[in-house]
Amino acid sequence: MLVLLLILVPIVAGLVMLMLRGENPVAFKAAGAIVAAATFAGALLVQSGGSECSFRWLSRPFESAFHFGATGVSIWLVLLLTVCTFCAVLATNVSRTRAFVAQLLLLEGTMLGLFLARDLLVFALFWDLMLLPVFFVLIGWGRHHSTAWRFFIYNFAGGLTLLLATAAFGVLYGSTDVIGREGVHLIGSWVPWIFAGFAFAFLVKTPVWPLHTWMPLTYADTPAPMVAVVSAVQSKAGLYGLIVIGMAFMPDYLRDATMLLVALGVISLLYGAFTALVQTDSKRVVAYSSLSHLGLILIAIVSFNPVALQGAVIYMVGHGLFSAALFLILGYVESREETRSLTRLGGLGAQNPRLAGALCIAALAALGLPGLAGFVGEIVILTGVFQAGWVWVVIVALIPIVLASAYMLRLYQGIMNGPEIADLPVRADLSWIEGFAVAPLVLALVLIGVNPHALTTFDPTLYSVAVATQGAGR
Amino acid sequence: MNITVTGADWNALAPLTIVAVTALVVLLADLLSPKNANRYVAIGIALAGVIAAAVDCAGAYGHDYAAFGGAFIVGGFSVVFQEIILICAVGSIVLYGTTGKAAQIPGAIALMLWSTCGAMLMAGAGSLMTIFLGLELLSLALYCLCGLSDRRTAREAAFKYLILSSTASGFLLYGMALLFGASGSVALADLVSPALASNPLLWVGGGMFLIGIAFKLSLVPFHTWSPDVYEGAPLPVTAFMSVATKAATLAVFARFIYAALPAGVDRRLLLPVWIVAAISMIAGNVGMLAQRDLKRLIAYSGIAQVGYILTALAGGTPLGLRYAIYYIAAYTFMNLGAFAVASLLSDDAEQGSTLANYRGLGHRRPVAAALMTFFLLAMAGLPPTAGFLGKILILSTSVDAGYAWLGGVLIVGTAISLYPYAKVIFAMYARDGHAHPHDVRPVAPLAWISAVACFVLVLLMTFYPLTPSNVLPLVR
Repeated sequence: MLVLLLILVPIVAGLVMLMLRGENPVAFKAAGAIVAAATFAGALLVQSGGSECSFRWLSRPFESAFHFGATGVSIWLVLLLTVCTFCAVLATNVSRTRAFVAQLLLLEGTMLGLFLARDLLVFALFWDLMLLPVFFVLIGWGRHHSTAWRFFIYNFAGGLTLLLATAAFGVLYGSTDVIGREGVHLIGSWVPWIFAGFAFAFLVKTPVWPLHTWMPLTYADTPAPMVAVVSAVQSKAGLYGLIVIGMAFMPDYLRDATMLLVALGVISLLYGAFTALVQTDSKRVVAYSSLSHLGLILIAIVSFNPVALQGAVIYMVGHGLFSAALFLILGYVESREETRSLTRLGGLGAQNPRLAGALCIAALAALGLPGLAGFVGEIVILTGVFQAGWVWVVIVALIPIVLASAYMLRLYQGIMNGPEIADLPVRADLSWIEGFAVAPLVLALVLIGVNPHALTTFDPTLYSVAVATQGAGR
Repeated sequence: MNITVTGADWNALAPLTIVAVTALVVLLADLLSPKNANRYVAIGIALAGVIAAAVDCAGAYGHDYAAFGGAFIVGGFSVVFQEIILICAVGSIVLYGTTGKAAQIPGAIALMLWSTCGAMLMAGAGSLMTIFLGLELLSLALYCLCGLSDRRTAREAAFKYLILSSTASGFLLYGMALLFGASGSVALADLVSPALASNPLLWVGGGMFLIGIAFKLSLVPFHTWSPDVYEGAPLPVTAFMSVATKAATLAVFARFIYAALPAGVDRRLLLPVWIVAAISMIAGNVGMLAQRDLKRLIAYSGIAQVGYILTALAGGTPLGLRYAIYYIAAYTFMNLGAFAVASLLSDDAEQGSTLANYRGLGHRRPVAAALMTFFLLAMAGLPPTAGFLGKILILSTSVDAGYAWLGGVLIVGTAISLYPYAKVIFAMYARDGHAHPHDVRPVAPLAWISAVACFVLVLLMTFYPLTPSNVLPLVR
């Protein structure tokens, strides 16, 4: 029952908040933060105790149930999501706070539903649902209508192929209540198509070159608190799906597609890094860096190496933490200076030491400084991929890691260093509540950085751990 | 053939009788009430009658009975369709409470009840004659209803509907005549005989019959009338037409293909129907792209939705029929809900259906906009609505029955349809500071209740997929 509450509480709270009237930013932020903190506490309980619940949904044409429970991978994404949402709610500083916080909570609830779903049909349901809050925020708060459309068309196209693949999976296997179950293997002439349907949805959502063109626009146009959650957690939905669905049920077809996926991953890795190097919009720098980092995780997953897979899980969490922190801090910068263009900004560090410090830590985590979570993820992934025998991939993957230092330092320097610019508004430094909003992310980055064992057991048979259920596998 | 008519036969007709008599009472009440008064008395009587009929009708579920020598068949199948039609009647009559005084012409509600009666007859029709009788009763009342408004477009719609629908009836009737020629009987049961499978009369007659049906279902290429007629007709009539005529015609179609075709004929004779359904799914959704009026949008959406329903029927499996019925029920509620919200936006219901009226609605009237958003999501087949589950069920049954290509077309059609539905949602929530056109808030408790009830039902149907098992159509 706990898992069900975990999903329903933010959704109900978000809907109630949408229906309320009045605009009291402090009250609604506080209410949202309390709900988010409660879900974080609930997620911790699920992580320590485990919890499952199941209600029959369909019995024909295939069996399906509202079956919720955490798996070995998803529990970390759930914890990441609840932390990020809490931080994002605290950092909210946009107009119409009530509606925005409500959408953040809806996003949290629908994504919790996705990660906790143990049934493919429920997974597909929440997949579509989690796109709606982002769409509504792009409509209500975005600057360009075309961005909302591009997000909508790409992602719902993915959602539809996912739906068709789910229906075909259900008919073929007779049940969709399969996530986290062992020994489910699909065979048949249809399966490549089913795999392709799932893979398309996952690659769009991640995103992977060449399906990424919605992503920089969306990330730039969405207000910082929401894009922090989207980039930190929603982008992991595709990778998570690739592990628990693609790898678990259709490993042979995933292997067949390895060359293609590795090629796409390497291209994303390089293309993202080189593009991030020349962006002038600070949010787009981080957006393209995400494309690059997620390409690395994709390579790790398709390498089928247990160590690389461990690294993928660590890096998914680590990337979530530092990209959320980066976006939140860039949101602070934007709300202070009313621009996020690197050509306009400069010299903020002198007047805003706390802001500069926060950005510095997040940027260092992103470029893979040892001692922070990003480094652990990268090194474990590279080790695993090397073990898998893909020496050239490792060598190529080192290039963007070097480039990451370049574009992250460029980002930091462009905003914080240099002479102070006279016509930029001078605002107060980071307030304690803004600092408090990024503190959990930084803390988690350090904790995982120095003690990655908290996340994994480095079990050589991790491949099964990844898809085994919470409790059973650990 | 001698038919002895017993009390049980009349009993089978009881729901229809109740509706027909209610219509007479409503007509009388209309005559007695002063001019320009509100029609709440008439609406109340009509609702009471329809609900009584629905209760009476529900009693027949599970008691299969072929009345009047098989001309009218009561049972799970007809009960389910009749209930859908009656629900649609309730939803449409409720909308009369919000239309402007000018649109409340005496007799309109009575006509709608008679139309309902015809649709119910079609749902239970077991012979060619009863099908035609029901269809004409349904259509004749609708011709009048379409024209019952002072607007020029309404008269144009009525005329267009009369001409085109009569043409379709002509096809249907001619097809029936040929079918009669083949089997020597008007009973659908007599068409099943295997000896007829090679009779060219059956093929030609069946083909013309199906053309007539496709016309009534507004499938491509016989769809051009529906957007114009929907746009011109008064809002409650459009709501009624968009569901009740489709449900009744689908009942006839389903009974025809499930129970009245000799083995070996169905697959080949019906292939063109599935192709037409596939084209409808694409063309209907493409047609939505350019619409500026909610009624036209829903007309095009309806063309595509019928395609989805036919996809479920394509395999000819019992499960497919159950899912088709599930989808029709879901479609009923989402359509009625959308029309109820439209009628809440303006005193004059016609204003409420222009899409310009929806601009900024999310900021002016958040609850109405949220309801509309929900119904549009349901039509688009997105969660958490019955439209989502309906599509999943239809997809899986089409894959299962070997019609995966129709499932693929359904996905493509849905992908196209996302844009026009989302465009309306977009207009409601975008902040583009346009002047708010016509912000009228009619007091319409009935329409509110109807919209909220539809919302609850569409939501609940997602989690409790009611697919009655006892619904195989019978001919005897």
